Amino acid sequence: MIKFILPVCLTGVGVFSGCGSTPPAELVSAREAYRHVSVGEAGKVAPAEVHVAGLALAKAEKAYKDEAEAFRIRDLSYIAQRKAELAGAIASITIQQKGQADANKTFVDTQGKVLNQAKGDLSATQTALMETARLAAEAEKDKLAAEQRARDAQAALARLAAVKEEPRGVVITLSGSVLFASNQTVLLGEARTKLDQVAAVLLTTRERNITIEGHTDSQGSDSHNMTLSQGRADAVRSYLIERGYEADRIQAHGLGEGTPIADNASAEGRANNRRVEIIIAPEAHTSN
Amino acid sequence: MTLTSKTGTRVIAATALLALWGCGSDPALRTEASASGIRAAEEVGANEVPRASLHLQLAKEELAKAKKLSADGENAQAASMLSRSEADAELAVALSREDAEKTESQAAVERVHQLRQDNKLLLD
Repeated sequence: MIKFILPVCLTGVGVFSGCGSTPPAELVSAREAYRHVSVGEAGKVAPAEVHVAGLALAKAEKAYKDEAEAFRIRDLSYIAQRKAELAGAIASITIQQKGQADANKTFVDTQGKVLNQAKGDLSATQTALMETARLAAEAEKDKLAAEQRARDAQAALARLAAVKEEPRGVVITLSGSVLFASNQTVLLGEARTKLDQVAAVLLTTRERNITIEGHTDSQGSDSHNMTLSQGRADAVRSYLIERGYEADRIQAHGLGEGTPIADNASAEGRANNRRVEIIIAPEAHTSN
Repeated sequence: MTLTSKTGTRVIAATALLALWGCGSDPALRTEASASGIRAAEEVGANEVPRASLHLQLAKEELAKAKKLSADGENAQAASMLSRSEADAELAVALSREDAEKTESQAAVERVHQLRQDNKLLLD
């Protein structure tokens, strides 16, 4: 056998058989390809295919060692390289499939979270809307009740005194002769009774500001009438405060003979001018 | 005839048979595995994937070479070349599948990314 091999090597026929010459390129490539897959992920995820590649390489190595025909060593090496590459491709397929499965699971989980979050938000929004609707209904109810109280108060006042709506507010006119003795600023007894009734109605709208104006007829001097009218306005103010109205919400002014509502030439006119006006400010002016 | 002669005759006959076998008896080349491997590679779209397409082409060339070698009486070489063709066809199929799996995997990851982007406010 040795006698056969040596001449072949010497003649340089190019038989790549174990006589110390370099292994064929195909075998070198096959060895490298196998090394690559055996140390990588393929060993874990495609062990069977890596094993097959190893067997193919072993076959090529044996052929090389046994000095088989050149074509056989080349072809077996070529096939061994392909088997190693096949193992790598199958490992990659397995890894990609796992990645896809993981991504699909993450998608489903995330969808679930999105759905739950949306449901939660919807529920919270519905609750908030219901609460808003409830508060709005209560506010409307309160408003209607307040309006009704105001109407009731006006109706009650109308039964007690002359009541008129003017731009400056609701004006309750009380006759001076009912409230005070002539030229006096002390309330008469019966005046208190009437004022009690007025106070009871006013207290249903206690959040409104009130102005009390005292007026006189034209008899007497201007300064006397100013003093008299102021004293009378103050007396009514003090009485209403006693009855519970907030002092901060009542003002008293004496206007003397300056704003008559009737002709001072007649006794009737002068009687009408002698008056106290209680002005309930419109709702826009409720706060000081 | 002596024992040696009888043996010698058998050896000669056997040698002749072997010679006939080695040189031009032309047993049929079994190309079915290679041909079906090539068909399978084409069916999974190996022509559309660069690496797969290369190995598909190699498989076809090797099959053609194997047939020629067989026709020339080089049966051992023909069988060896056929094995190469089968290996290349098998690899072409696997590379084509690998490409398809990569594409699907990337699409699945992108779907998750898009879902998170679209619902950033809800998920934060």
